[in-house]
Amino acid sequence: MRSSTALGWAAAFLAPALISSLDALSNRPSYQLAGFLYLLAVSLAAYLGGFAAGLVATLLATFGLDFLYTPPRHDFIPANSDQAAGVALFFIVAILISQLFERRRQVQREAEAASARANRLQAVTARLAEAVTPQQVLDAIVTEGVEAAEARAGAIGLIMPDGETIEIVAQRGYERNLFVGWETFPLNRETPMGTAILDDTPFFFSTSAERNAAFPGMGGVSGPSHALAILPLVVEGRAIGAVAFTFPTEIEFEPERRALKATLAQQAAQAIDRVRLYEAERALRQRMTFLADASELLGSSLDYETTLGQLARLAVPDMATWCSVDMAGPDGSIQRLAVAHEDPERVAWAERLGEEYPPDPDQPMGVPNVIRTKTAEFVPDITDELLVEAAQGDERLLEIVRELGLRSAITVPLVARGRALGALSLIRDDSAPRYTELDLDLASELARRAASAVDNAILYREAERRGDASRALAHVDDGVVLLDQEGAVVSLNPAAARILDVDEAGVLGETAVGSIGGWSEIEENARPERGGTRGPVTLPLVRGQGNERWVSVSGVDFGDGAVYALRDVTEERLLERARSDFVATASHELRTPLAAVLGAVKTLRRGDVSLDSDQREMLMDMIDSEAERLSGIVSQILLTGQLDAGRLPLEHERFDPVALTQSVVDSAELHLPNGIELRMQAEVDVPPVAGDENQLRQVISNLVDNAIKYSPQGGDVELRLNRSGQFARIEVADSGLGIPRDEHDRIFEKFYRLDPALTRGVNGTGLGLYISKELVERMNGRISVDSEPGRGSTFVVEVPLAV
Amino acid sequence: MLVADDEPPIRLLCQVNLAIAGMDVLQAADGAEALVVARAEKPDLILLDLMMPNVDGWTVAEELGADEGTRDIPIVFLTARATTNDRRRAEKLGALGYVLKPFDPVRLAPLVAEVVARCARGEAENLRRERPPALWPADLEE
Repeated sequence: MRSSTALGWAAAFLAPALISSLDALSNRPSYQLAGFLYLLAVSLAAYLGGFAAGLVATLLATFGLDFLYTPPRHDFIPANSDQAAGVALFFIVAILISQLFERRRQVQREAEAASARANRLQAVTARLAEAVTPQQVLDAIVTEGVEAAEARAGAIGLIMPDGETIEIVAQRGYERNLFVGWETFPLNRETPMGTAILDDTPFFFSTSAERNAAFPGMGGVSGPSHALAILPLVVEGRAIGAVAFTFPTEIEFEPERRALKATLAQQAAQAIDRVRLYEAERALRQRMTFLADASELLGSSLDYETTLGQLARLAVPDMATWCSVDMAGPDGSIQRLAVAHEDPERVAWAERLGEEYPPDPDQPMGVPNVIRTKTAEFVPDITDELLVEAAQGDERLLEIVRELGLRSAITVPLVARGRALGALSLIRDDSAPRYTELDLDLASELARRAASAVDNAILYREAERRGDASRALAHVDDGVVLLDQEGAVVSLNPAAARILDVDEAGVLGETAVGSIGGWSEIEENARPERGGTRGPVTLPLVRGQGNERWVSVSGVDFGDGAVYALRDVTEERLLERARSDFVATASHELRTPLAAVLGAVKTLRRGDVSLDSDQREMLMDMIDSEAERLSGIVSQILLTGQLDAGRLPLEHERFDPVALTQSVVDSAELHLPNGIELRMQAEVDVPPVAGDENQLRQVISNLVDNAIKYSPQGGDVELRLNRSGQFARIEVADSGLGIPRDEHDRIFEKFYRLDPALTRGVNGTGLGLYISKELVERMNGRISVDSEPGRGSTFVVEVPLAV
Repeated sequence: MLVADDEPPIRLLCQVNLAIAGMDVLQAADGAEALVVARAEKPDLILLDLMMPNVDGWTVAEELGADEGTRDIPIVFLTARATTNDRRRAEKLGALGYVLKPFDPVRLAPLVAEVVARCARGEAENLRRERPPALWPADLEE
């Protein structure tokens, strides 16, 4: 344009001059041709230089045409009026031509300007399309757009989620500190932005004075007076914020400018809306991804300590600047399980800090409070007052937390089955956006999943431990029954099921009193106080078919229930009873011969009368035999003790069983009661046997005594001796009272005596057969009985033959 | 006087010592025999063992007590059963004494004579209530 203008001016002077110089030629142009050439020169000048150049060229051309070509030549005064009219006409036509070209130039200039504006807008639009953050949106309209808007600086303020506050989300071109204290401000405060948003109207101030007059409360504008434009950012008919443009100088806002600003604002609004959507979508995706990753992580292992540590690390840096996990100990203490930050050095620092400031379970806020109340704490904006409160007067701690620049925090409890297991904390510093309700929802969901994973892991460990315990209990002979607080059976081991004669499946979950026979007696005698122990006590348990069992029971209450230990003491009890019966029996057995001996002595020593010699003799015999009997009983008791202790040495000798049997018969014959017939029947060729001859004699003699004793009505007692394979077989048969079949095994047990009704008052220690069996078996022999009540008994002793 | 005991030595001791005191002594070797003799002879007193073949002493006492003709024969048990339960049972059966073996046969005669004399005077009930220590031992087993 500029070069074109210069050319225009050159043409304005040179072109008429060139045509005028043609006059000096010998063949000079005609008047008509010269006029035509002059018009061409004017056109050229006007075309190149615009109206002014055209005007100059017109004057020069008019002078040239008048002076050189209009007759009279070389004279300004035309020859006649026609001549003069011609010059005037020329002048007018030249002026018109100049104007014509000038208008064309103007149209072209306008078109070029419009095209440039469009280009600039297009550039802004392109930048806006690429913008993904509010700052980039601002940059697009303030750097690209500033040129379009002719502004030197700009700022974008958006309404915050609360709908009542404006936050300056981006600014460019302002001197530093201009927005200090103005990062956020209430929407309804009298500000250009606030008013523009509320009224949905733009403000255009051509001078600082105008703006100060409109908003006196804002304080004066610094620097030289300049123009200011504030336009609402409207999306779908709703103002979401405002953009401010600051101009270097005072500017008159004509409609075109205003329209351009409005266009910019509209585009910015759409871009911001898009950015917001994008941000929201990105945040959502980030959350979903995080939640998915976290869930996968939580499900990957039962080692929840490690998993939660990994979870904390997963949360940084996208979800949190800092992430920590704290666990509640069984004693109410709080243990930091993990803390995560992008920078490992910061993690180490935080861990040291955590050791220096261990959490106090009674703290009114933060993790202890969250665990205690099982309620999340959400602090979208960490204010300095909050930090001061949290530091509780510790200046150093306050300084540390202030330096961290914490912005926003979420602490959620890890709650499973109504129990707070710990807490998860997410903290962001100034480098990240503050948390929203969405983040709280995410954290709560994450905490829920984490708590469930931890709970599962704990339950699994518990189950494993219980599994170990129950495996151990399965092999214990003592019964163990676990009841809950309501008295329902939680578990019982096989020994308990056996002792109580119940089926495990039939009692689990049922009340013990209702499902276990005899449990009410156990409750009555062994139920412990809450937290206490009771027992052991020994109780009879009557089970089916009157089968009496004795159990020793003790109970321990551990708060959540009670555990009972049961031991089947029936055997001990029976033995104990047999022993006490034995004491009574032994006392009785000893008293009778003792009475005879003592009585005889006392009678013999009577001083008042003298006994005849027959009487004396009888009494002396009595002392002799009854003392023998006493000694026999005592021997039996001693022998039993020796057998029990395994301290009875037995001979291993070779002897003739026939002679032995004969000697027993011979001595028994000496004091045979009336009505008893004693016979012996022996095979002649029974070979010698091996064993202890004296002890075997005791055995056979005892059997013969029994045979006589249990034949109170008299009858035959027969000894039979024969060979049976590698054994000598000695039978002692009577036709006396007999023994019921189901007692055949028990009569060989220690202290066992038949029911008195079956013995008809026959005395005994209950040791004879026990001793016999022990002795025979120690000689590698056998003893057995064949008998029925009322049909007599046959005892069979088999002793191995000598090799 | 009837001595019922399956142990011959005990019967002999009683017989010798009571005879010295001038008493006529009948003997029975078991419960059944005791019942027969008691019913036939109506002795002044029976010294009765508890553990005897065929019919034990308890049964003898019960049967005699149930019979109008023998109800008033005083019974003194002479036994080796040294438990309080047995003693209590003897009391319930209306026995006049419970002499525990071993016993002093020399002192038996005056004791028996005393019981017979008091019963003859119709003091059997008093005697039962008094329970003199010489006739009712205290040191028994549970």
